[in-house]
Amino acid sequence: MKFDLEVRLAHDGDKWIAYHPDFEACGQSLAELDQDLTRCLLDRQLFPENSHVTIFMAFDHNCIPTWIRQYAYHYFNRHIRLNLKSASLKTQ
Amino acid sequence: MSEMNRKWYSGMTRTEDWWAVWLGSMMFLASIGSLWGLDLTGWMAKPGTWVWGAFSLDAALKPSGYENWHPFLSWLTTYLVFTSLTCLAAAAMKLDLKRFFAGWSILFVLTWVIWVIGQEAHFKVPFNEFEKYGLSWGLSLGGGFSYLLALSVGLIIGNFFKGTADFLMEAAKPEWFIKTAIVFLGIKIGIMSIEATGFITELVMTGVAATFVAYMLFWPIVYVLGRKVFRLSRDAAAVLSSGISICGVSAAIATAGAIRARPVLPVVVSILVVIFAMFELIILPGLYTAIAPNQPIVNGSALGLTVKTDGADAAAGAMLDELMRANAEANLGVVWKEGWILMASLTTKIWIDMFIGVWAFVLALVWVYKVERKAGQSRIGPMEIWHRFPKFVLGYLLVWFSYVMLASTGTETAEALNQTAAAVEGPMRNMMFMLTFVSIGVITDFSKLKGMGKLALLYAVALFGIIAPIAYGVAWIFHRGMMPPSL
Repeated sequence: MKFDLEVRLAHDGDKWIAYHPDFEACGQSLAELDQDLTRCLLDRQLFPENSHVTIFMAFDHNCIPTWIRQYAYHYFNRHIRLNLKSASLKTQ
Repeated sequence: MSEMNRKWYSGMTRTEDWWAVWLGSMMFLASIGSLWGLDLTGWMAKPGTWVWGAFSLDAALKPSGYENWHPFLSWLTTYLVFTSLTCLAAAAMKLDLKRFFAGWSILFVLTWVIWVIGQEAHFKVPFNEFEKYGLSWGLSLGGGFSYLLALSVGLIIGNFFKGTADFLMEAAKPEWFIKTAIVFLGIKIGIMSIEATGFITELVMTGVAATFVAYMLFWPIVYVLGRKVFRLSRDAAAVLSSGISICGVSAAIATAGAIRARPVLPVVVSILVVIFAMFELIILPGLYTAIAPNQPIVNGSALGLTVKTDGADAAAGAMLDELMRANAEANLGVVWKEGWILMASLTTKIWIDMFIGVWAFVLALVWVYKVERKAGQSRIGPMEIWHRFPKFVLGYLLVWFSYVMLASTGTETAEALNQTAAAVEGPMRNMMFMLTFVSIGVITDFSKLKGMGKLALLYAVALFGIIAPIAYGVAWIFHRGMMPPSL
């Protein structure tokens, strides 16, 4: 499946962070992260306003200690679709 | 650098789960060489019973098949074969190879020294064999003494020699060792399936019931207890419920991933799971042997329902098998076949393990559509089920069914196969169990319980007040009166 954008998803113990070469978005919850991501995309004008953007967030296993990775190599990846509306910064 | 899992084959060369499948399958394939007249497993060393004051290397150490080999040559070959294979796996898993090699070598030697000591006749042999070994007293603990000794030495290192434990940590991988042993056990259940089809069928059917109990009874009870009494958040209660009710660390991670919980939650729950599994491993085999010495299969199955990591469950099952058989021989006058009590414990646990992927998938849907009510935000794919499936189970099933198919083709084939497969199912499997006991002790640091407070209390209450009693009751309903075959 093709996505418009791919980011790396991590958690620093306090907040979720989406890393991309052009920006970093963050939020206490995933919903807040998505809002901040929308803001970043609009600020940097990577996509036109009012467009729909599909994003793949690949979970970075480096935020889980090495000893625990043996039990499961898959935590989660996220596929989301954002509606880039500057007025409401609303996710779909 | 991030590690991402995008494909269905992600992890095939870099996870312990898959490497258990590869190592187990390699040894099974080697044992099949007997069908063409080749003994490719006879080099494997095995310990023998010896008597204090009359130690001889020939009695204490033997080759499995190559009878004219010197015992030390057999042991050295065992070391070289397993060191090469595990180092190959460690390199593929991107472990620190130098540290792994050094740690593995120390663990290997330590394990064999303990294993040989544990075979001393005063600790091991049953009451009715005292005369044969010229004994006036003995503990009659069977192979259980080796396991207890291995666990004790591991725990002493893990809790009192923390620098050494840190050094050994790179190679101390109890889950990997036990999953490899479980793949080897596929041969054992293959043999059992041919010997007693009805018994195995009943174990499998009970496994289905146990799965229902774990997911539909334990999980909701612990979740409600966590939410209503301990006032935990939804995600904390869900992760803890899975860890304690289903299959420990892998369930905690699967659930946390499914509900998109903060990574710190499964880490904390996993520490609790590992440490409490140690209490279960120390307490339950002896307790069950004492309170119900004539209910071997009930006890085995109850362990499978109660102990929440594969490593601790298989280790506890092996210890229970040894203690109950030794006790039955000494006090009940019956000699049960080895491995059936262990198999009752493992079959129950493996069934529970297999459905964790489905459960994680269901929880993911519930969280997205009912709890967070943001159905359009994230896409949940059925691929999640595959990602969470315990892959070592594939190796276990593959070896089991392959053995049954090959052995069913004729008596001569079965006999040829039995000769070489015995080295895999016997000493190789027991060596992996011994490595598990030492390693599980090395990685268990009881001081980590400090500061866990509410979660640790909930875990203790749920485990000993809810899970263990219900598990025993369920095992009793299904298995009371079932006995392993006698010799």
